[in-house]
Amino acid sequence: MTARLTLLLLRREAREDRAVLVLPVAAFAVVTALALTVFGGAAFFFSIEGEIGLLYQGLAILAVTLLVIPLLTLCGAAARLSARRRDRRLSTLSLLGASGRTVTVMTLIEATLLALAGTLLGVLGHLALTPVVGLVPFHGGPIGAGNVVLGVPGMLACVAGFVVLAAVSALVGLRRVVVSPLGVRTRQQAGSTSWLRAVGFVLAVCAGLVMGQTMRADQGTLVLAAGVVITFGLTMAVLNLVGPLVLRIQGRIHLSRAGGPRSAERVLAARTVLDAPKGTWRQVGGVAMTSFAAVFAGVGLSFTELAGGTAMSAEDRMLFEDIRTGVILTLVISFVTVAASVAVNQAADVLDRRDLFAALDRMGMPLGRVDGARTRAVMGPLVTVALWSAGSAAILILPMTAVGTLTSPTTVLTVVAGLAGGILLVRLAMLATRPVLAKVMAGPVPAS
Amino acid sequence: MDATTTRGATPPQRIADPAGTVLAGHGLTKTYGPTVALAGVDLAVRRGESVAVMGTSGSGKTTLLHCLAGILTPDSGSVTLYDDDGAVAVHALSAGGRAELRRSRYGFVFQQGLLLPELTAAENVALPLMLGGVDRREAQAQAIRWLEWLGLAGMTDRRPSQLSGGQQQRVAVARAQVAGPPVVFADEPTGALDSATSEETMSALLAATTGRGGTLVLVTHDESVAARCHRVVRLHDGQIVHDATTGEVAR
Repeated sequence: MTARLTLLLLRREAREDRAVLVLPVAAFAVVTALALTVFGGAAFFFSIEGEIGLLYQGLAILAVTLLVIPLLTLCGAAARLSARRRDRRLSTLSLLGASGRTVTVMTLIEATLLALAGTLLGVLGHLALTPVVGLVPFHGGPIGAGNVVLGVPGMLACVAGFVVLAAVSALVGLRRVVVSPLGVRTRQQAGSTSWLRAVGFVLAVCAGLVMGQTMRADQGTLVLAAGVVITFGLTMAVLNLVGPLVLRIQGRIHLSRAGGPRSAERVLAARTVLDAPKGTWRQVGGVAMTSFAAVFAGVGLSFTELAGGTAMSAEDRMLFEDIRTGVILTLVISFVTVAASVAVNQAADVLDRRDLFAALDRMGMPLGRVDGARTRAVMGPLVTVALWSAGSAAILILPMTAVGTLTSPTTVLTVVAGLAGGILLVRLAMLATRPVLAKVMAGPVPAS
Repeated sequence: MDATTTRGATPPQRIADPAGTVLAGHGLTKTYGPTVALAGVDLAVRRGESVAVMGTSGSGKTTLLHCLAGILTPDSGSVTLYDDDGAVAVHALSAGGRAELRRSRYGFVFQQGLLLPELTAAENVALPLMLGGVDRREAQAQAIRWLEWLGLAGMTDRRPSQLSGGQQQRVAVARAQVAGPPVVFADEPTGALDSATSEETMSALLAATTGRGGTLVLVTHDESVAARCHRVVRLHDGQIVHDATTGEVAR
């Protein structure tokens, strides 16, 4: 009975607005296709044997670790996308007297169905992508389409993982509906970022310094590898702790400086960031670690090239080229994931607030200026995050950055071009959602 | 207007002396597929007048308001705005021209307020001025003056979610009036409010518009709201079936 009611309501809502189904399913499809391709690509390196194989595998794990956060962010965006609409529908049912159990079951059914449909489409997307990804050269030749396809157990694990994540995310969001059915209809206080984050940041940096002091080169490969993983983990934790705080401070500065002929857009963009600094960070923070690591790797590669020069053996040259390809690929996938996340979030935001955007149009606010405000609200934090992360890495190893840039500019410039291309990609994702905004703003005016 | 809304605040400048026609629609028709929303409507609104447009759902009242406001273009007929700069043929303007007209010459109040939730009350009110190129500080100062005049002193930094429904509507009234438009359009401005808050909001709306020589065109289902306007126009099947001043309606 509950399942039938869920399907009926979902079908009715989808008939009025196809985006109710299309957007969450598409978002899950994109995240699944990307994740399977990343895992499939990483699995290829485990077929390489010998000592060099271990190195490739370590680097593949590192790349996957860097991409997990943006992929999880995109998955979260997909889950929240369907949750926002469901919350509204279920809060109405809750107000009408539906029991907590009924609402819970309906939530689980809907979240699972949408995620399942999306992830299954994502599997097809992954299979469609493999011929292209298989052309990427690694280890002396193209990977080959067959080598990128993740095995059936891996695919099933991925699908199950994303569906469970969607269900858990829906259940967590549901607590608000059951506990306070009226609460979800009202936007509460602006999102806050605790200054405890700054304390956490200091503690994490101290932990990193202590670890750095205690680690020695003679402690064995396993200890050093663990050290590298922990260092990356700590850096990620630090970035996630301090990121929303930085965005909040930046938002306040932008708000206080917002003036001139574009003050309306600037105020609106700054307020959008201040309204939800954590949400903004979730959207763009995925590029922080990748940008940070890319600069390190880029400079490292420049030095390797400098040290090896023409005397580099064929195997070392291949490894060098592969690491460079890997760095760029990781950077690109990270930005593709962020771009998809931005597109999903922006399209959902426009559709969720269609009344407001239509009202702005009726008040005479031009499409370009509304679009300008939301573009600023996304691109400002993204550029800040990417440049600050890359800049921090460059400054941390300043002498090496300078020498690397001067003596072997190609690699460093490739990383910089990758960053610029990534930022452009996110801008294109924003542009892709402009027709949705235009349609909503110029939407039919109901007769009465 | 109740006493609390004007006490201790400087009233914003007056628009113009009430005289003559400010807005006129002639022979307006509009169809949506087989549905006739407007079937040759003539309506002239005088400066300083408040006009309530009433009718059952689907009678065409919102379509009429949207045609007069330049949100929709009529299939046939004309809409003319007469202001200090002369006559403007609203129906003949391009989409961009109509958007510019709505931004600079009209004010709007919607049923749900439709304030931007991220912005404070003062920023919401200042938005039309900032869009028109007014310096942010000056825009905020004018917005605060309006909010204080409407009895919202001390609430200018609050976000819409921190205000009651009635307070949100008063912010929406301030936003509609801040740029000094000759005409304000209100679509069911009290539709989501209880009767006491509805009365309070209407007082604010009338004081801010006709109370200062401006013009108000309002769509409502509520007879008590309509009774507070100078004139009531009733639509049925896209045609005006009744047009009278409220004194005549009472008789």
